[in-house]
Amino acid sequence: MSDGTGSALYASEVSKTVDGPDGRLTILDRVSLAVERGDSLAIVGASGSGKTTLLGLLAGLDRPSSGTIALAGERLDALDEEARARLRRSRVGFVFQSFHLLPALNAEENVMLPLELDGRDDARERAADALARVGLGARRHHYPAQLSGGEQQRVALARAFVHGPDILFADEPTGNLDQRTGAGIGDLLFALNREHATTLVLVTHDATLAARCARSLRLREGRIEASAAAGEGETIGKADGGMSEATRRESQA
Amino acid sequence: MRPLAFAARSLRREFRHAELATLAMALVLAVAAMAAVATLAARVERALVASAAELIGGDLALGSPRALPTGLAEEAQRRGLAINHLAQFPSVLFANERSQLCEVRASDAAFPLRGALSVRGADGVERDAHAPPPGSIYADHAALVALGVAVGANVQLGGRELAVAGEIAKAPDSGNPFRIAPRVLMNLGDAEAGGLLGAGSRAGHRLLLAGDSDAIAAFAAWAKPNLPAGARITTVQDAQQNLRNAFERGEGFLRLAALLAALLSGVAIALGAQRFARRKSEEVALLRCLGARRGEILAALLLELALLAVPACLAGLALGLGLQQLVFELASGLLPGAPPELPWGPPLAALLVGVAVLFGFALPPLLRLRDVEPLRVFRHDLVARVRRFDVLYLLPVAVGALLVLVGAGSARLAGTLGIGFAAVALATLVLGLALLWCVRRVSTRLRGALRFGLANLPRRRALTLLQTGALALSLTALAVLGVIGPSLLERWRADLPPDTPNWFAINLQPEQEASLRERLQAMDASNVNLLPLASGKLVAINGHAPVAAEKGDRRAGDFIEGEVRASWSDTLPEANRLVQGRWFDAATRRPAISVEQVWVELFDLKLGDTLTLRFGDREIAAEVTSIRKVEWDSFRANFFLMLDPATGAELPHSMVASFHLAGDGAAPLAALSRDFPNLSLIDLNAVLDRIRDIIGRVTSAASWVLGFSLVAGMLVLLAALAATADERRFEAALLRTLGAHGRQLAIAVLAEFVALGLLAGGIAVAAAAALGNALAAGVFKLEGYTPPLGQLALLVAAAAALVAFAGWAGTRRIARTSPMAVLRRA
Repeated sequence: MSDGTGSALYASEVSKTVDGPDGRLTILDRVSLAVERGDSLAIVGASGSGKTTLLGLLAGLDRPSSGTIALAGERLDALDEEARARLRRSRVGFVFQSFHLLPALNAEENVMLPLELDGRDDARERAADALARVGLGARRHHYPAQLSGGEQQRVALARAFVHGPDILFADEPTGNLDQRTGAGIGDLLFALNREHATTLVLVTHDATLAARCARSLRLREGRIEASAAAGEGETIGKADGGMSEATRRESQA
Repeated sequence: MRPLAFAARSLRREFRHAELATLAMALVLAVAAMAAVATLAARVERALVASAAELIGGDLALGSPRALPTGLAEEAQRRGLAINHLAQFPSVLFANERSQLCEVRASDAAFPLRGALSVRGADGVERDAHAPPPGSIYADHAALVALGVAVGANVQLGGRELAVAGEIAKAPDSGNPFRIAPRVLMNLGDAEAGGLLGAGSRAGHRLLLAGDSDAIAAFAAWAKPNLPAGARITTVQDAQQNLRNAFERGEGFLRLAALLAALLSGVAIALGAQRFARRKSEEVALLRCLGARRGEILAALLLELALLAVPACLAGLALGLGLQQLVFELASGLLPGAPPELPWGPPLAALLVGVAVLFGFALPPLLRLRDVEPLRVFRHDLVARVRRFDVLYLLPVAVGALLVLVGAGSARLAGTLGIGFAAVALATLVLGLALLWCVRRVSTRLRGALRFGLANLPRRRALTLLQTGALALSLTALAVLGVIGPSLLERWRADLPPDTPNWFAINLQPEQEASLRERLQAMDASNVNLLPLASGKLVAINGHAPVAAEKGDRRAGDFIEGEVRASWSDTLPEANRLVQGRWFDAATRRPAISVEQVWVELFDLKLGDTLTLRFGDREIAAEVTSIRKVEWDSFRANFFLMLDPATGAELPHSMVASFHLAGDGAAPLAALSRDFPNLSLIDLNAVLDRIRDIIGRVTSAASWVLGFSLVAGMLVLLAALAATADERRFEAALLRTLGAHGRQLAIAVLAEFVALGLLAGGIAVAAAAALGNALAAGVFKLEGYTPPLGQLALLVAAAAALVAFAGWAGTRRIARTSPMAVLRRA
């Protein structure tokens, strides 16, 4: 790993410490990684292993205590919060476990949000297209409360991809869904990812989902415990039984 | 579990949450508003009552529109009482080509019997004094300034040159805070010699008595059956009662304004308590799981609330008492006799109101917490909905109704107010819903942050309506008082025709009529109108002693006991309209009388009834042959009773003139006053200025109390912000995550709150304009009145700015939430 400007995402010796009631607590300890353009990385690990903290740091939502991170070729430590926001707006997409749609806005307006924040004029048309792509073209005027969990996550996927981000961060995207719906969302996520040639960073407990990523990385107490490419090690083997259609195609590719 | 320790610890940890802070602030405000108003009112009332003896000028007063028979004074002296003859009337003073309407008191040397008169001489030294010697007057500072004279100069009063012998520094009956005209004290002999007290003058005559209380009581008992017609006896107790009655009306308005603040604070408290209860419900479920009993949990919750309430109530009390002390100090010039000690009743009552508001509005959500299922620990969506507790939500309504009842002092007024509040609430609801529908339409056409901000309003519909209602209510009150009221008065005044009479001359003798007309013509006076005036007494209606149509009607009582005035004219005077019957003509059977509609209502009169009136020693039984309606604001001499001309001409009478004089006319009027010394001149512009001045004073007193309700309205806004703080924090973090920059978040917040302010302001302006139009049509009889839309628009803009600022201040920290919060919330 050099300066990381060639990678979609690059982290070097990233640590995060916080001050607790019993002294300093290390949440992440010198984590380094690189994800190439179009690549996909799963971050797995037990609760409290630092997965979410790492995701937040990589996406520029928070700043590391030490170490450097480069996102889409830009060093995050050189940017203030406003500049990082600008970077996220144009280059980054997000999918969350709890969908996180704004309840005041309908499906289409939720999808328009990243485009509008970026000041684009064709927001409505592109949002309609994106919703049609996730199969919700007929429901674009529904509010989040009128949609099921799976439908809400599909709206969230449309929102994540609508502005053509370089890199997508997904935090337990199937965690709040039943197995069947979750599998459907997983299929859609990877299909969209492929269509847009987006770099994907995925935090999950779901071994099946993790197995569909090209690489996976296991955290334990804030350190990288293991890193494996597709076809290596136990994660893939375990996932075999539950592999969906899309995954099978991908691993054959 | 030890509830007290648990409550104290919880309060320490939870005070940083916004809802507890708003709860405490609302409580401080409610107690402060009630304490300030009630305490101040009680102190002013006490001061007025304590000075009642000084106000009437003695221990007993006999008052009459005519000079009192000498037998009364002789009897009083025989009984060893000190006596003082006094007459009081408005009159215009002239000096240096200037004129000034003054309240003139003419007295014999005995003045004052009670209290002290202190006069500053030409040397600037203050001395205790009695009424001035013949040929001189004392005038107060305002009179001297208005006339541009100093002590030692001459002024003209009642056609005579009199020397200003001193400046009044302190006089016994300066206790009336609403007395505004400058005051002059003259010698009674001068007034009599100048003809200022003759028949038809507006002078009130008084005989004041002082002595030990038994002698006073005995004299009062003797005098009552021996009083001449139209005379009245006033004891110190009567004066106190009158003062209380007069004061209670003004005070009622201030109390209601304070009450509005308390009720709006209650709404803020209810919002805070609900939020608090929602936050607590998981904790309660957990405690129940761990085996805490319901009683223990409730005790801990109530204790926590009480620990918050006690310091908040005390702080509110301190704030309220401090404020009223400030106002009291500022007003102490008006209330020299005010006792300095603080009454304890009103502050205690304010504390009780605070407790009632707190528990009335906070209890329902807290009591519901008692029924939280332990199972909620596992299932967050499990919300206890127990039927019997829904009744609890009547508690705030009951507390509100009780407060209105206590504040209004009568069930009828409380009912009217209750219906009024409900109507305003309903109107706000309907208007608010309509406006929200518009906002919804508009917001979908907007983009990005602007749309997101606006879309928040219809989404949190109930909260938006509540905030809008609270703000609109307080803004309406302010708009009506501050904008509509003054504009109506201005418009009413501007509506008067340019040659509306601005001077009255009274006490003119009939034989002077022709010469006065000549003089007025020479002075270029226009719209000259002269009418005869006879003063008499109402003896009977249809042969029976007169009774008021409605029992205890004060106006009817005044006409029955006091003096009635009648005039006559060949033709129906201007500004009069016949409603029934015919005006007098040759065919009218005499004596006949025409009555004004007010009398018809007061005494239940109809055509054909007979009124028996006594003028001097003549008694007339006149048949009612017509009923008139008078425009009382026409500034002419108008009369309730008009006799047929033939009957009237035979009565002893004087003349009343009204006319319009351009400019201030001081020089010709001074000459007029000199040549017609018996004439009393009244400057109507000065009277109007006095009215406006009084209204101005009342308005400014009321507006600081209404300021409390506006702050309470803002508190409702802040409480609603606190209630949605978590949601807002999360949404801000999400927008941050999606790449929104700070400016976009600020735009969203400003869009939301400016819109909220515009909603509230718009409703307030609509309500104020509607009220203004209703007042214009109903009370002021103005056609085509347009409320001052510019000023109202300014008010809306100010409201929007204020609300936007409060919203921005309330969400400033929220906007800085780290975007990591999005990942942390499952």
